[in-house]
Amino acid sequence: MLQILALLGTIGAFDYSVTSSPAETKAHEIIPTHIELCTVGPQYYAFELVTTKNIPGTGLATGQVQASVSGNSPFSVQLAPDGSYAYDLHVSLQRMRAPLQGNLVAWVTTTEIDRIERMGTLDANLQASGRVSWNKYIVVVTLESSDDPHQEQWAGPIVMRGMSRSGMMHTMVGHGALQEENCAAYGYGN
Amino acid sequence: MMMSGGWRMVPMDMNMPMLPGLEGAVPVVGPFMPGTMIDPATLPEARPSLVVPLSNMDTLDISVSMVRRTIAGHEMIMFGYNGQYPGPLIQAPQNATIIVRVKNEIEMPTTIHWHGIRIDNRFDGVPGLTQEAIGRDETFTYEVRVPDAGMYWYHPHVREDVQQDLGLYGNLLVTSPDPNYYGPAHREEIFVLDDILIDDQGALPWGEESPTHALMGRFGNVMMVNGKTDHQMEVRQGEVVRFHLTNVANSRTFNVTFGNAAMKVVASDVSRFEREQLVTSIVIAPAERYVVDVRFDKPGEVAIANTIQAINHFRGEFYPHVDTLSLVTVSDQNADSEVSMAFETLREHSDVVREVRPLREHFGREPDHELVTTVRVQNLHQSIVLSMESDTLYAAPMEWNDAMPMMNWLSTADEVTWILEDVTTGAQNDEIDWSFQVGDIVKMRIHNKPDSFHPMNHPIHIHGQRFLVASIDGVENQNLVWKDTAILPVGSTMDVLVEMSNPGEWMMHCHIAEHLHAGMMFSFTVNDQAP
Ligand SMILES: [Cu+2]
Repeated sequence: MLQILALLGTIGAFDYSVTSSPAETKAHEIIPTHIELCTVGPQYYAFELVTTKNIPGTGLATGQVQASVSGNSPFSVQLAPDGSYAYDLHVSLQRMRAPLQGNLVAWVTTTEIDRIERMGTLDANLQASGRVSWNKYIVVVTLESSDDPHQEQWAGPIVMRGMSRSGMMHTMVGHGALQEENCAAYGYGN
Repeated sequence: MMMSGGWRMVPMDMNMPMLPGLEGAVPVVGPFMPGTMIDPATLPEARPSLVVPLSNMDTLDISVSMVRRTIAGHEMIMFGYNGQYPGPLIQAPQNATIIVRVKNEIEMPTTIHWHGIRIDNRFDGVPGLTQEAIGRDETFTYEVRVPDAGMYWYHPHVREDVQQDLGLYGNLLVTSPDPNYYGPAHREEIFVLDDILIDDQGALPWGEESPTHALMGRFGNVMMVNGKTDHQMEVRQGEVVRFHLTNVANSRTFNVTFGNAAMKVVASDVSRFEREQLVTSIVIAPAERYVVDVRFDKPGEVAIANTIQAINHFRGEFYPHVDTLSLVTVSDQNADSEVSMAFETLREHSDVVREVRPLREHFGREPDHELVTTVRVQNLHQSIVLSMESDTLYAAPMEWNDAMPMMNWLSTADEVTWILEDVTTGAQNDEIDWSFQVGDIVKMRIHNKPDSFHPMNHPIHIHGQRFLVASIDGVENQNLVWKDTAILPVGSTMDVLVEMSNPGEWMMHCHIAEHLHAGMMFSFTVNDQAP
């Protein structure tokens, strides 16, 4: 299965200044031409996607998620009805190619992976946009044989993943002088 | 719990252990309570706010005095305007001038600032800039011309962290001559949102020489609507209620929800929006106002609530928290359906659209001035510094709750300096020296630096002028409204366009009372004629 879905080989030394695509451009061969710097949110809430190296050709892949909390809210911040931040997300991958077969799909999931939402299929520029209304979340890019927008959870291998900045919130539970509880039980939820 | 120097321990969530080294610590300033030598029984009991409709050149006398109030079962000595909570609701027609004679009968000097009004500079109420503070038993007469329709408010500009918290605030409603200024509604309600920090003996003392709670501002633990902790309403099914919301809290930004009722935001500080917009909640920072139309469709009970995701810093987690602000009973009697139906139309306010259109051409250009917000601390307790520094890997865009009550309480304006810094000159707070001409459209870019000791959201307020929020983080604002105060979340960059329409010396500052008194302010000049 994995072999069937295998990606193109590693691009190798990648020139970010390249602005033209290869002569024989096909959708699946388009090389991202530049890194979109922060245009949709404060750099502070942006985070990296890290390759799993599970898929051939993704060993050097990099990725970012831009997260904007202001959106077009009349109030400077965009919130879900329960008061959670509503982030507009923009996923972009570099230093890899779109797969010959299958689709790269971006998902967002809670830290406990008890809820999963499909953000969308990455476009030919290896980008996707979506929204999440959770305070802590993980963005996952997987390789899927299906392009079904109603797919409820991923079936293919994880290519890249990264955690929202809020995942870096410090917890003192289970550490040092304040140790009282099993640290695995707290601090990684919500 | 009594502690040294007359302080009581700040109320804390007891699931959160105290930081080692802070046992018995108290703020470096002394405690202040109003009227400590006075028997509350000798003071008049404060009454709910009265409506005072005024016409052009009418005079209103306001006395600033001590009152007796009971909040959450605690009888306390507080302050009041004319013995009322909130102060009198003043109504005046657009473009009228009203005369307000203020007599100060409290033990602290005071002033009245007419928040959001493009007022004659002499009457802006800033001590040391536009007037001398009004001493005890002294009087000052304000002439307040009200050029813009909408909901405004008045409050002291002396130790707001104390005086405002003790009840010195009131609304000023400026009515438009246009009967269709707002769309149809069955009725209107005024909601003044506040919170107060109380323990089992009543309000916790304030800082005598300078404010406590300088890091995050003094969050209350008891919520109030119009000074009441048990606000209730009855409405009919299908009733459209226009709420005029004002946030007078020291530091708390509210996220006001109305259950599942349909709601649309209509207006804010100094104007209506270009277009009415459906929303699911109203985010309102200290000093902001919003006008929101709400239709209660289903019979039953609806809690108007502050619905937030609070942070537990000890566990490093968000958790949902809901405080009921008002309980609405919706009867099965039907309200007049024509008005209910009219709610569905999202009105466009073409005069606002026309008025702001020329300013859109400034959206793309470079800013005239750039500011960053940051904070500096000195001599702060070492365990607070260690704990805060370990926590700076992540700061949320907004601080909805006081997640570190003891550290916050112990930090005073002696140890904490909040800063507005001019990026070009490096000038900070009152070192900033800007001057403009009447007619200038000034673009300011303000960035909330996330890498400081404790980054936090700031409601940025500009006196005497009105401004537009052109963009946040590069996203252009599609639905403009004239503002006098706007939220700057952590990490965000906000471009505002200030229309310099009113000559004088004007303040710009953070409206978190404790941040203001910890330095976060400066003044700029608007010249009438070319120098
Ligand atoms: Cu502030």
